[in-house]
Amino acid sequence: MEVITKIGFVLLGLFIILNWGLIMAGIIRKIIARVSMRRGIKLFQPYINLIKNYSIRSQISHGVMFYLGPVFRLSGGVGIYLFMPLIYGSEVWSNYSFTGDLILITYFMFFGMLGMALGAGEGGHPYSAIGISRGLAQFTAIEFPLTLAILSIAIQYNSLSITEIVAAQQGGIMNWTLFTNPLATIAAMLAFLGAMGHSPFNVVMAPQENPVGPPTEYHGTFLGVLQTNRAILHVIEAVLFMNLFFGGAGNWVELIVKTFFIYFWSVFVGMVFPRFRVDQSIPWLLKVPLVIGILAIVIFII
Amino acid sequence: MVSPIYIIAVLLGIAFLLGLFKQPGANFVRFAAIITLAFPVFVSVGWLIHFIIDPTEPFMVYTAGALPPFSINLKMGLEEAFMTSAVNVLGFFGFIYLYKTLKAQGEKAVVLFLVLIMGLNVVIMTRDIFNLFVFLEISSIALIGMIFLKRDLNSFSAGFKYLIAVTVISSFLLIGIGFIYYLGGTLNIDDFIAKNNGLTRGLSTAVFLVLIAVLLELKPFPANGWALDVYQAAHPGINAIISAGTATAALFAVYKLLPFGGDLWLNIAVIIGLITFLGSNFLGISQKNANRLLGYSSIGQIGLLLAVMGFSKHLGEHFQMVFFALFISHFLAKAGLFWLSGLIAKDEIKDWAVLRKKPYLLFLFGLFVFTLIGFPPFPSFYGKWQLVMDLASNYNYWWIGLILLGSIFEGVYLFRWLGYAMKLEPEEGSSIKPDWEKIIPIAVFGLLIFLASYFTNRIFPTSFNINLIPVYFILFLFVIDFLPAYIKNTIAIAGMGYYAFYIYPGIEQDTLRLVFAGIFLLGGILTMFAGYSVKGRRPGFFPFAIMMYAGLIGLVEAENLFQFFFSWELMTLGSYILIIRGKKSILHAYNYMLFSLGGAYMIFLGIALAYNGHTSISLEMLQTASFPGWAYTLLAIGFLTKTAALGLHIWLPGAHAEAESDVSPMVSGILLKGGVFGLLVLFMAMGGEQAGQHPLLYALGWLGAITALGGNLMAVFQEDAKRLLAYSSVGNLGYILFAFAFMTNIGWLTGLTYSINHFLFKTLLFLAIGGVVWRVKTHNMYEMGGLIKRMPWSFIAVLIGIITLAGIPPLSGYAGKWLFYNAVITKGWYFQGAIVFFAGTIAFLYCFKLIYSVFLGQPKDKFRKVKEAPIWYLIPQFILIIGIMVFSARPDLILKPIGDLLSQSTYFPTDPLSWENVTASTNLGYWSGYKIMLVIGGMFVVLLLWLVVMSRKAKSVKQFNMVYAGERPFTPETTHYSHNMFAPFNKALGFLTTPVVTSFWNGVNDTSHAFADSFRKIYTGNGQTYIAHILAYIVIVYLILL
Repeated sequence: MEVITKIGFVLLGLFIILNWGLIMAGIIRKIIARVSMRRGIKLFQPYINLIKNYSIRSQISHGVMFYLGPVFRLSGGVGIYLFMPLIYGSEVWSNYSFTGDLILITYFMFFGMLGMALGAGEGGHPYSAIGISRGLAQFTAIEFPLTLAILSIAIQYNSLSITEIVAAQQGGIMNWTLFTNPLATIAAMLAFLGAMGHSPFNVVMAPQENPVGPPTEYHGTFLGVLQTNRAILHVIEAVLFMNLFFGGAGNWVELIVKTFFIYFWSVFVGMVFPRFRVDQSIPWLLKVPLVIGILAIVIFII
Repeated sequence: MVSPIYIIAVLLGIAFLLGLFKQPGANFVRFAAIITLAFPVFVSVGWLIHFIIDPTEPFMVYTAGALPPFSINLKMGLEEAFMTSAVNVLGFFGFIYLYKTLKAQGEKAVVLFLVLIMGLNVVIMTRDIFNLFVFLEISSIALIGMIFLKRDLNSFSAGFKYLIAVTVISSFLLIGIGFIYYLGGTLNIDDFIAKNNGLTRGLSTAVFLVLIAVLLELKPFPANGWALDVYQAAHPGINAIISAGTATAALFAVYKLLPFGGDLWLNIAVIIGLITFLGSNFLGISQKNANRLLGYSSIGQIGLLLAVMGFSKHLGEHFQMVFFALFISHFLAKAGLFWLSGLIAKDEIKDWAVLRKKPYLLFLFGLFVFTLIGFPPFPSFYGKWQLVMDLASNYNYWWIGLILLGSIFEGVYLFRWLGYAMKLEPEEGSSIKPDWEKIIPIAVFGLLIFLASYFTNRIFPTSFNINLIPVYFILFLFVIDFLPAYIKNTIAIAGMGYYAFYIYPGIEQDTLRLVFAGIFLLGGILTMFAGYSVKGRRPGFFPFAIMMYAGLIGLVEAENLFQFFFSWELMTLGSYILIIRGKKSILHAYNYMLFSLGGAYMIFLGIALAYNGHTSISLEMLQTASFPGWAYTLLAIGFLTKTAALGLHIWLPGAHAEAESDVSPMVSGILLKGGVFGLLVLFMAMGGEQAGQHPLLYALGWLGAITALGGNLMAVFQEDAKRLLAYSSVGNLGYILFAFAFMTNIGWLTGLTYSINHFLFKTLLFLAIGGVVWRVKTHNMYEMGGLIKRMPWSFIAVLIGIITLAGIPPLSGYAGKWLFYNAVITKGWYFQGAIVFFAGTIAFLYCFKLIYSVFLGQPKDKFRKVKEAPIWYLIPQFILIIGIMVFSARPDLILKPIGDLLSQSTYFPTDPLSWENVTASTNLGYWSGYKIMLVIGGMFVVLLLWLVVMSRKAKSVKQFNMVYAGERPFTPETTHYSHNMFAPFNKALGFLTTPVVTSFWNGVNDTSHAFADSFRKIYTGNGQTYIAHILAYIVIVYLILL
């Protein structure tokens, strides 16, 4: 019975996160359009896209791995959700976070990436492979400052448990990592820019060009699965940063507000700055964010 | 017993008689000579056996009816019996070897030969100094006569130079003897030693002249050009006699006369000997002429033996053992090598490739080389060990350093040569004439090496006793080498299986050893499975594969450092041969060997330093090591050569990549763990976590981190699949080193988890890629592509392998990563840790490249019909996958006992990992492999089903049915994005992979060769120069002694 209740709540949470993700995507695209002096899409366009893709009847497959790629990708997104405690102090909304800690989430992010890369790889389209090679290369440089930031807060709170890290930030805004450990926060938020795939780090997907990027060959249901994942992933990654740096969330409203602003940070920067090539973004990530990340560690050593 | 005087009588008498026979009786002459030469063998070997069984007083032969010092006397003791046996056995087989040559040269040559052997016998036995001089002269003249017999300009010129040199040297000897008689009043050696304890000034000059003359007979470096020219020009059969016979007798003459000079001359012998050993071997490294090279080697070895005599005080009761072990190795191997050279009858060492046409001769060549260098189980290994240990006990570290350095130089040319013989293509139309009379002596000497090895093993102290079962098993595999591969493979697997049962009870309690024994033996069995796909006999593979595994398991079993080092070297030997079997492996195997040799000597020196002031060589001795800083550092560097830490890694990529398909997993997944185990032994000796702040560990931590980064970066830019995996091994071993250097409980658990994982996934990946390479016959990934459709099982194996490698949950790689974070934070090595994590993300790049370029993307036309990898490659792969799955789901099964062992030991009691059912937790975090597996598995299945339902109508399409803007792709080659895949990454970070290390080692190589080459120019080939060398040598030594 307990198991079934647990699963029920987990699915409910997933449903909320998915819908929030879709709505947030709509809002964000609306904002982007308005900033670019366009009217932009309907607010619910992401829903329409999703329904359309899931109902397309003609579908092709390049092979088993091509087929499994989206499953891996979605498993990656849902998996991170499953291992993430959502609402502080709530047993019900802590999902399966008892099976592993922060490290589990950082490494599980690769699960989806790898599966997607392989699936797209079997599609045989060189543009997919180019996108993947760019994405992976850029990701290594994103991870470096992020790792330092995570190490820094792990040292600060002497814990790798997300629940404990959130717990330590309770009792007022000044207890947030943002204020208690600003260097780590800055390093992580700069790395976050890369992870979200907005300009200046969006050459991986290159959304404005002819299709270049991992999903090039995906269409129909496959693309629908990928879009579902993206909606979940964007929210859940914002939840991760919220938990680590912005005091977590005591209820759903707080979660929604905080994740919106965290995600919006990457959109904001993307609207202002033009795109990097990969061989520019890697050195940049390994300069400013990395140095800040190192400083975030140094303050604990001395 | 037959009195040794009859040796002289018979040889001399028959030599005279034979002179009576003229040409028609030539056959009879030679036949009679063989019988004659058998006689001294019978006599001296008889005495040898007598003295071994019953070590009584030496037997004295008195002549001329008077007692010494008024007459000449001969002595036959254990030493003389051994030396004359050596000379006579050599004479007997040397004669057989020269049988046909002597036939061409007539009965005079036969007579000279008999006289030569007779002369050498007397030089060894006589106790009269003038008599010694006379017989030195007799044998020299006989020898020169034989050199001339080749009748070409070179040997005339060389023989003439030899003649002049020997004459000059004898003049000094004779003057010296005259003065000795004048001032000392006796010519009898024992009498002189008894009477003249303190040397007067005049007498010391006389002694100087005598001793410097006999030392010059040993051709000390650099006054030895005359001898080198002879080695180069004379018939190899004669060279064998010079190197193993004349030099032996001269060496013994020095041995007899050294007491004249007291302690001072012992030191001089050491200095001259070691300069010769070092200099001669150093000049050898750029030598290309086989006979001259053997000359260098021969002179070097004699130098070492001379030094051993000088060390006799330090060696004490071990002197005879050490001398015997080193001497017999030189004697048998050098004679054998010269004889082989005669069989090949070509000058250049590259010409020895022709040996490949006669594998048994190649085997003998390898045997001689390994005997010379001092690999186990051959005698010189024991000899060098004892020599170095005893020197260390007496603080002679610089001497040890010189000996080991000289040995490395020796390795440089011997292994280059062996590599040529094994790998170069023999010249068109070249062949070896299998003359029975030439092959028999070589084979007999090869056999004698084994006998000598056994004997050496017996006479050395009991703590040296090795578990010889594996060695016998290896020999057995050599014997059955004619059988088909699958039978030998089964026998080898059965042997390893049996051995696993055999050692299990002994290490059951010691989980740490159990883990490594498991990797070595079970891993070994798994990798051997792949061998079933090889058709034919696969000659020479199985003995060496088993040798490597025997060495590895020996490391685990070793109770003392000697056994450890023995196993270490056995492993090196086996793996070297395995590696060199690859088609393009000649250079890589050579690099591997040189690094291994250097590493082994570091270990050796480290042990020797640590041993000072101890009586036991047990592993625990290292805990109280003397000079711990130096000893531990040397040991660490030694082990790091095998784990390929950055700076010492350049051998690895080529060696692993070019090895045969089923050898790569052996030398990668398994062999590297030998070095890891060595490090563990060292770290435990350093005292576990109490040593946590040791500067060496801190340095190793950084080294590990940089190795991880460097290895992984290099792997990203490879186009060769196996090279990629090889560089990945460099990186992974960097993680392992880093984790163990923490010296904390969790750090060690991390290291062990990494080790187990690396074994599982790297063996798996190498087997899978090996299977692919087996089918597609190329290593270049960009030539492959789309193979998933043809090789689905291999694809699954690689997929599982890279998920584990990358540390993605739920597979066991993640266990390592999680432990790692905890260990880094606990230890406080944040920056190093961050570098390693960065390296970990870089691993994704090559993981993707590997699986994508080979299995995904565009299939090529030529591989459309390619078959799945052989079943014998797939079986071990799927066993390994099961292993990964079990370890992923239930890591507690292995990690809990190891953790208990670590925390209950005195080494790592602090901050252990705590287990609650399947959930592990530390002070920082928690993780449950089992539950993660369940959650992810459940979710994956649900999502898969959902997609299956949603897209059940998806149709398969053809290769080029893609969304390709504006054009239609049609050639897979131009559509497969693989070559230089990470170009932007290269642009950003490629500068980090500038091959500075390779440049450095190339520089070392070029510089030493250039030095050797320019120093070699002192050997002008001019007899007058050589005489000047000799005179200058005498003067300089004299001036130094003043």
